[in-house]
Amino acid sequence: MDKNMEKVLEVSGLTKTYKNKRGIYDINFEIYRGEIFGFLGPNGAGKTTAMKIMTGLMRADSGDVKIFGHSIHDSFESAMEKVGCIIETVESYPYMTAYENLKQASRYYRDIDDKRIDEVLEITGLIKYKAERTKNFSLGMKQRLGIASSILSRPELVILDEPLNGLDVEGMVEMRRLIKHLSDTQNSTFLISSHLIHDVELTCNKIGIILDGKMLSIDYTDNILANYASLENYFISEVERNGSI
Amino acid sequence: MEAFKAALTNEVEKMYKKKKAAVIVIISLVVIVLGQLMVTGIRNGLGLRTAGGTEFPILVLSVFTNTILPLFTALVTIDVFAGEFSHNNMKIILTRPISRLKIFSAKLTAVGFFVLANLIVVMLLSTLTGFLFNSASISATAIARILISYFVTVIPVMTLAIIISVFANILKSGSAVFFMSILLYIVLKALGYVFPQYSSLFVTSMLDWYNLWIADSIPVLKALRLFLIMLGYSITAFTAAFYLFDKKDL
Repeated sequence: MDKNMEKVLEVSGLTKTYKNKRGIYDINFEIYRGEIFGFLGPNGAGKTTAMKIMTGLMRADSGDVKIFGHSIHDSFESAMEKVGCIIETVESYPYMTAYENLKQASRYYRDIDDKRIDEVLEITGLIKYKAERTKNFSLGMKQRLGIASSILSRPELVILDEPLNGLDVEGMVEMRRLIKHLSDTQNSTFLISSHLIHDVELTCNKIGIILDGKMLSIDYTDNILANYASLENYFISEVERNGSI
Repeated sequence: MEAFKAALTNEVEKMYKKKKAAVIVIISLVVIVLGQLMVTGIRNGLGLRTAGGTEFPILVLSVFTNTILPLFTALVTIDVFAGEFSHNNMKIILTRPISRLKIFSAKLTAVGFFVLANLIVVMLLSTLTGFLFNSASISATAIARILISYFVTVIPVMTLAIIISVFANILKSGSAVFFMSILLYIVLKALGYVFPQYSSLFVTSMLDWYNLWIADSIPVLKALRLFLIMLGYSITAFTAAFYLFDKKDL
């Protein structure tokens, strides 16, 4: 790896325990500019918890997250300035239109005008529903609006928690294309969580496997596929190596 | 400051878009009309002198500030905190580049705008009704009395709103917070009547403090004392509510 590559996200010693003793334990990893990092793990492995802490929705018991060198504890605003995200579920104000929802988000950034709002609505295929209230939106449409909202500010780091939820096959293919496109044209960095192994294999160039709140391994997709027939084989071998499946 | 302005604009826009503002204006109007009908009824039916043109707005304020205004304020305060948490909408703002302190302050400032706007609407409508139905000459003093009494009412109502925001950050259910606020309001009101010597300690008794400001000679020291008590309540409640808001995991 090129040592000069810019560190976009640095997670160190992240720990959070819920009352039911589940949680995440000592999660450490780094993401460099331009990478599409896949956070792979079964439901309940701790992906969402880790992402919630990274985006300020939840406080960690210990550990820190630095985004573009800014700690989310000490300088949250600077850390989140170039971040766009969808965490767990896409939310919107149901009494507002798609445009009004995006307008609300745009106010937190400089230089995001109506033209940019139209642009993201166009990219996500929602332009014809621009003036429609989101309470009538289907799950897929809401997901698209969430994606529009997360890329609205032209973020350099996009954090997507299960972005394919609610999308049909066509939507999934489009989504994958959009991620690749943003990665190629704007050199955006991605952190994507998913429990869909096939999807992670197709989209991500670096993969971290999380199980029972612990990070099992991190490697580049190319390295993995050079040694294993598929990501699924790698996943199973890693999980077995750590004594559970 | 940019982030705070953005959050404040968004909060005000949300209140407006929810159509609650329109409903509240309509209810305020209905109350004023009912008040006017009552005043006219008493005057014509019983032959009693009730409220003159300039007294009518103050009469409306005395009813409004003890009943509907705290109720509306509680509803709006609960809506911006517990309401957004329970609808999972809080996430939309929390992941944007803005600190929780700014979000929290912007939300309370928006509630302040709401209180002010509601008071202004009632003031204009009641003044207009007062002059239309109870003929009286307009004097500068009368206008000043109306203006002062409506504007100083913002302070106790906001104190109440900040106290309610503490509950709205403890309990998840909006209706539970609303129930608790009403109960607290009734208990404090009752305590104010039972122990009048301590009434200046109860925020609910301070809703009438505009009377001090329109007295012939303003009791400056008493007004200052009440103001400082309200300020103390506000600072304590703000700190407690923000602490809870900041610690909240979604």
